[in-house]
Amino acid sequence: MVTLSIDGRAVSVPKGSTILDAAKVLGIHIPTLCWLEKVSPTGACRVCVVDVEGVARPMTACNTPVKEGIKVTSTNAKLEAIRKQVMELMLVNHPLDCPVCDAAGECDLQDSCYEFGVTKPEFHAALNRKQIRYDWPLLESDPNRCILCEKCVKVDHEILRSDVIEVVARGEESIIDTHDGKTLNCDFCGNCVGACPVGALIDKPFKFRGRPWTYTVTRSTCGYCPVGCEIDYHARNGRVDRVTASDATYCNGNLCINGRYGFAYINSPRRLTTPLVGQKTADWTQALTHAGSRLKELVAANGPDAVAGLSSPRLTNEEQFLFQKLFRNALGSNNIDSEARFGYAQAQAVIGSALGGSGATNGMDRIDSAAAVLVIGSNLNAEATGYEYRVIKAATKNNAKLVLANVADVKLKKIAHGQLKYRPGSETFLLNGIAKLILDAGLEDKTAVAGIAGFGAYQAELAKLTLDKVVAATGVTAAALSNSAALLGGKPSAAVIFGAELMRSGAPGAVEAVVNLALLVGAVGKEQGGLFPLHEKVNIQGLLDMGVAPNLLPGGKSAGIDGRDLWQIIEGIEQGKVKGLYLVGVDPLTSFPEGGRIRKALEKLELLIVQELFPTPTADLAHVVLPASSSAEKSGSFTSIDGRLQPVVKALASPGDAREDWDILTELTNRITGKSMVSTPVQLLAEIRVVIPGYGESTVAPKGGCSFAVAPAADTPVAADLTLLVGPILFHNGATSTWSENNREVAPVPYVEIQKSDAGKLGIADGGAIRLTSVAGCLTGIAKVTERLQPGLLFAPNHFPEFPVSCLLKGNGVYVEVKVEKG
Amino acid sequence: MAQVMFSSWGRTVIDNRAGGDVKDASFRLPVAFDGARPLNAFMGWDGIILFDKGVDIPIMAAEYMTRIQTQYCCGKCTPGKKGTRVLMDALNGIVDGRGSERDLQLCEEMFELLQNCKCTLCQSSTIPIFDAVTHFRDDFLAYINGTKKRPAELPYRFIEKYTAPCQDKCPSHIDIPAYIEAIKEYRFDLSLQTIRENMPLPSVCGRVCPHPCETACRRKNVDEPISIMLLKRSASDHEWQRNHLPPMQPKPRKGKSIAVVGAGPAGLAAAYYLALEGYPVAIYEALPKGYGGGMIAVGIPAYRQPRALLQRDIDIICSMGVEIIYDCRIGKDLTLAQLKTKHDAVLLAPGAHRSKPMGVEGEDKGYKGFLTGGIDFLREAYLGLPTGMGKKVCVVGGGNTAIDCVRVALREGAEVSTLLYRRSRKEMPADIWEIDGADEEGVSFEFQVLPTRIIVDADNQITGVECVRMAMGEPDASGRRRPEPMPGSEFVVECDTVIPAIGQDPDLSFIPMESGIDITKWNTVVTKYLPLKDAAGKDLKDGMGNPLCRTLITDLDGVFASGDAEIGPLTVVACIGNAHRAANVIGRWLEEGKVYLTDDEIIEDILTYLGVYDKNEQVPWLDSAEREEQKEVHGKQRAAYKNYNEVELGFTEEQAVREAERCLRCYRVAMAAV
Repeated sequence: MVTLSIDGRAVSVPKGSTILDAAKVLGIHIPTLCWLEKVSPTGACRVCVVDVEGVARPMTACNTPVKEGIKVTSTNAKLEAIRKQVMELMLVNHPLDCPVCDAAGECDLQDSCYEFGVTKPEFHAALNRKQIRYDWPLLESDPNRCILCEKCVKVDHEILRSDVIEVVARGEESIIDTHDGKTLNCDFCGNCVGACPVGALIDKPFKFRGRPWTYTVTRSTCGYCPVGCEIDYHARNGRVDRVTASDATYCNGNLCINGRYGFAYINSPRRLTTPLVGQKTADWTQALTHAGSRLKELVAANGPDAVAGLSSPRLTNEEQFLFQKLFRNALGSNNIDSEARFGYAQAQAVIGSALGGSGATNGMDRIDSAAAVLVIGSNLNAEATGYEYRVIKAATKNNAKLVLANVADVKLKKIAHGQLKYRPGSETFLLNGIAKLILDAGLEDKTAVAGIAGFGAYQAELAKLTLDKVVAATGVTAAALSNSAALLGGKPSAAVIFGAELMRSGAPGAVEAVVNLALLVGAVGKEQGGLFPLHEKVNIQGLLDMGVAPNLLPGGKSAGIDGRDLWQIIEGIEQGKVKGLYLVGVDPLTSFPEGGRIRKALEKLELLIVQELFPTPTADLAHVVLPASSSAEKSGSFTSIDGRLQPVVKALASPGDAREDWDILTELTNRITGKSMVSTPVQLLAEIRVVIPGYGESTVAPKGGCSFAVAPAADTPVAADLTLLVGPILFHNGATSTWSENNREVAPVPYVEIQKSDAGKLGIADGGAIRLTSVAGCLTGIAKVTERLQPGLLFAPNHFPEFPVSCLLKGNGVYVEVKVEKG
Repeated sequence: MAQVMFSSWGRTVIDNRAGGDVKDASFRLPVAFDGARPLNAFMGWDGIILFDKGVDIPIMAAEYMTRIQTQYCCGKCTPGKKGTRVLMDALNGIVDGRGSERDLQLCEEMFELLQNCKCTLCQSSTIPIFDAVTHFRDDFLAYINGTKKRPAELPYRFIEKYTAPCQDKCPSHIDIPAYIEAIKEYRFDLSLQTIRENMPLPSVCGRVCPHPCETACRRKNVDEPISIMLLKRSASDHEWQRNHLPPMQPKPRKGKSIAVVGAGPAGLAAAYYLALEGYPVAIYEALPKGYGGGMIAVGIPAYRQPRALLQRDIDIICSMGVEIIYDCRIGKDLTLAQLKTKHDAVLLAPGAHRSKPMGVEGEDKGYKGFLTGGIDFLREAYLGLPTGMGKKVCVVGGGNTAIDCVRVALREGAEVSTLLYRRSRKEMPADIWEIDGADEEGVSFEFQVLPTRIIVDADNQITGVECVRMAMGEPDASGRRRPEPMPGSEFVVECDTVIPAIGQDPDLSFIPMESGIDITKWNTVVTKYLPLKDAAGKDLKDGMGNPLCRTLITDLDGVFASGDAEIGPLTVVACIGNAHRAANVIGRWLEEGKVYLTDDEIIEDILTYLGVYDKNEQVPWLDSAEREEQKEVHGKQRAAYKNYNEVELGFTEEQAVREAERCLRCYRVAMAAV
């Protein structure tokens, strides 16, 4: 600790703190403009000048480390004069368009001028007007308003590692621009806009929409991915006009395109606003009565096995709880499931038996300071961007060694110390190969593994594996494997992050292998690091916790008699045993594998109830359509993968007659049971906590009694000539964002990425038509030629209802062998 | 003798404009900028020097500020960005007849306010402006009153140079503040890009450079210098550690080709810069494949410079379009004349690899255990050839090569490794951290001793060295005390191997007499230079005693020289700076048929001669950030048999950023009226 005094008051702060940090501890206000806590100090604005006794010039508090015994004066007449004059300089050539500036009312420059009494321009220079960048998507840059604080540049580089904007030109001409002067082509997270203290960088969708102070601002949780960013909805007149995030939140205000701009789906004119019965407009009484009585009739006539339900990870915990209650208590059926069945649920079962829990083993923020990070089978950029920010922080600011294992190049490649581009299906070999090399080098966490059951068996299993076999199966060189083992092994802590590309790889034992490797490097059970299974959608963990599964009750208790799982439900429909299906926020025809088969099944149903926001392809088949609410229009909670219970707070009313899902579920249950249950999200959470005591009251608890997972034997993967990978891209999340005009502005149309050499061989041109045929169906799309992929691999985003490429998949896998032709 | 009309340089005012009692002043500046065009006035961070009364100071001040604002101000702090703009507009307003006395007051206010700039560029630029409006007020008033108008043309030109004390001191003139700032901003990639503009062997000069820059670091005036060299290593390590490919792309291939003799630092550097310009370059290297790098490879042991990283730097240079022809000694496998025929230009960069004799009785008798020289020993150890070394090794010398020899001797299996030096430890020319490194590894030292005789047994096998202890004698005519033998202090150091490491000479035997290429008495190649003279009529010399502004062409047209063979044995960084210059000159010679230096190169040399760093400057700054220290492998084990693993481990990136934060970014601009 270092002791100093500011304005005569003593304070002790950790070594390396700045004078500004020390002043904050004392509650002494030192003005700043360019300082932003989450990035490195810039020292550009010079308004934080302070006097330090014995130093003949004022020092800037934001970037001057403290020193033992120094005496600091935070303000005096001289410092005030400097600050005022600096502000006066800042106003030279600053346009006086405050009346129409987006930032008016929330502008740090306005506030500072007011604070320092800068009331008229004192300095002058020849008028200089720079071109406004109207050509950027979603963002607009007016360099004339810029005070060159560089917050945007630092956020872009230090948090995003996008490196697309920088300070260009010299002197008064210097502006923030793209490094090549071309139009902005980036992640479009808008975090630069969030950081801009003035009106230089603005959100185009918000421009001229309204004055900031006229909005109702509601703090809630983003409804897209399981990072669970706290966001602020700015709503007025039944619309959300923008979303912002505070740096003071768990995610430091760092959103992604979906979080910041994806709100536009809420305002979409395509929203469902009235119930439909037989595809005809109906009122709620008709719709609910019809749905309730038909469900009851089906059960009465055929038994509870005749009905089934699928829920969405976009529903709140309270809604998930009600959903399973509706089926279990009101209809007597355990036939409920969700998209977790494609891999996340099974992965949790493996984690559960090995580590005794579900979800991540530590808070997401514990990635920040892990000493080593392995990301495998996930394009973090697309699957859970907030996790990517954590990994970037660890690997670029906190000295973590990063190993990236993926089938294609992804954004993190540029900061990774080791990159393993493996063949699809060889995940188990890859992970076990690294584990073997770690053991061979004696780099395992000896203290940790000593107490874990099954270590001997695991060692014996690895001993049978040869490096040659690993190299042959994965296509990764022995040198790259050894390098990765050295990077991951022997570290005080490690974070292991894996996503759908691993869980749904189809490789037997892949999840077991990743759990075991995590145990081997000591990723589990420490302050830093952890094991993090990922999924693309927000409340996947809450969905499982609430018992939306055929075999699990809320809290992970066994259901006793298992109901039908997702695939068994489909089979049941095909066999005529399941006659009624209730889909809440689920559009199988866009997002599920085996689209052709599922369509046939759905068409066979006697009763299809679809509760939705949009007229999806599935809703078009429904007998009853119930218009539901977006996450901005309801209250409740989400549970992040790392176990944070996140409040969902209603920011605006639903459009038309649309109702909140919990409300619909309550009403429908009442129709079935004939009771008049009244439930609110608050009551429901209380009820959940009766069933699962203490749910969400503490973050992930350390899990005891670990054991190494026993993995099924891995087969050497047989490589197909051409394999299609279906997965998420950054600019969308699920299908929801495809209804957002903002996301569509950046990623308007679906495409199929094909490796350059493959495209050459098949005569497929960039932008040309490409026809994909798999065992599950065929589809024609637009080709995008890339060098990001390995030869033989194609990739298509899974979001677009107009191009439901997931339907080509078979079973749970995200990979499928395809025949590729010029379309 | 040129009379100084006015000077405020160094904050001392001399004003001879009114005539009368003329005060003398001399500055380390040439009378004529390039030996021909007179230097009329000079303006910069330390004031104004006026030699010719005809120079219009208001115009010069306006132009100086215009260049600061439009070409150099980074825009990254408010006072700098806006303040210099306000000044530029005010000064130009004055000379364009739109000014008022308020503008002069404004210049004074800005001088005060810009003390608060982020760095010294804009702040220091207000100093000559302040001096101008203070001491040349009447000249400004003449414009303000309308009695004077901006002339349509000026009889002189302005030539400016952007520099910093560290950048100036670096013989390669790397833009050090820029690469450090990039690290501060976590832009290791941009940092390396900046480094490569003047330094194509970043992994090397990030490790083994004697870093003269750090002796001219202004942070030293606050506490300790910035760890400039290690930050270069951080930028270079970042690239390979994150598997990045170097981003450089050579220009389209040109027709004329260049032969380079020697794949050492100078040869590689010249080849790199010529290849970037699109020239095909062939380097002829005497050593076999895999042993490129010249003195870096054969003279610097791998525990200081890992071979894989040296090779990576060489591979990158080759990937720009440079071919290295190994096992080809010019003068033996090919003649210089043949090279000249095959290529359009030839650059001689053979280095200095011939050991100097140590002048001890018995050294020429061919005793067993007496090795030719330190550099030969290091080369053979590196090539894996028998070195002839025994178990008890004595190395004679005090430079870095001597230290390398004693440390390598341990790694080659010596049981005792002793260094004999005739002066004291603190007088050793070797870098202090190298001496400490040897100490830690268990080397024994005998200071202030002079070997006088080699002792051998009947088989002519060395058994020891007879030495005499030295003491400082009486000051000689120059006032310097020289070590002198103390009679009766003779003693014998037991050993079976003696390695003289006294120094090296270039071996220029491959240059035939009839080529016309002249060679100095120090055995270096003579190159042409600009006739820069000071006010007293003396030739200006650089720090090595060579003429200041050399074009690096030899007396034979189309043949240039660079590196240790041109400068005299010096450092990697000096060779690279020299070779970069040679590459530029060769390019001009090939394209334009003329050999000349640009104004920018000339003013660069002039500033180095003048001195940019002032060790007496009071730098007001809080000394609250200590210099970061890198991690190092400790213990004798690091010098175990054949253990050539790197000893110094560099900064973590977090440390590098913290260290970069300490940089004061001491940019400044000088401008000459010529």
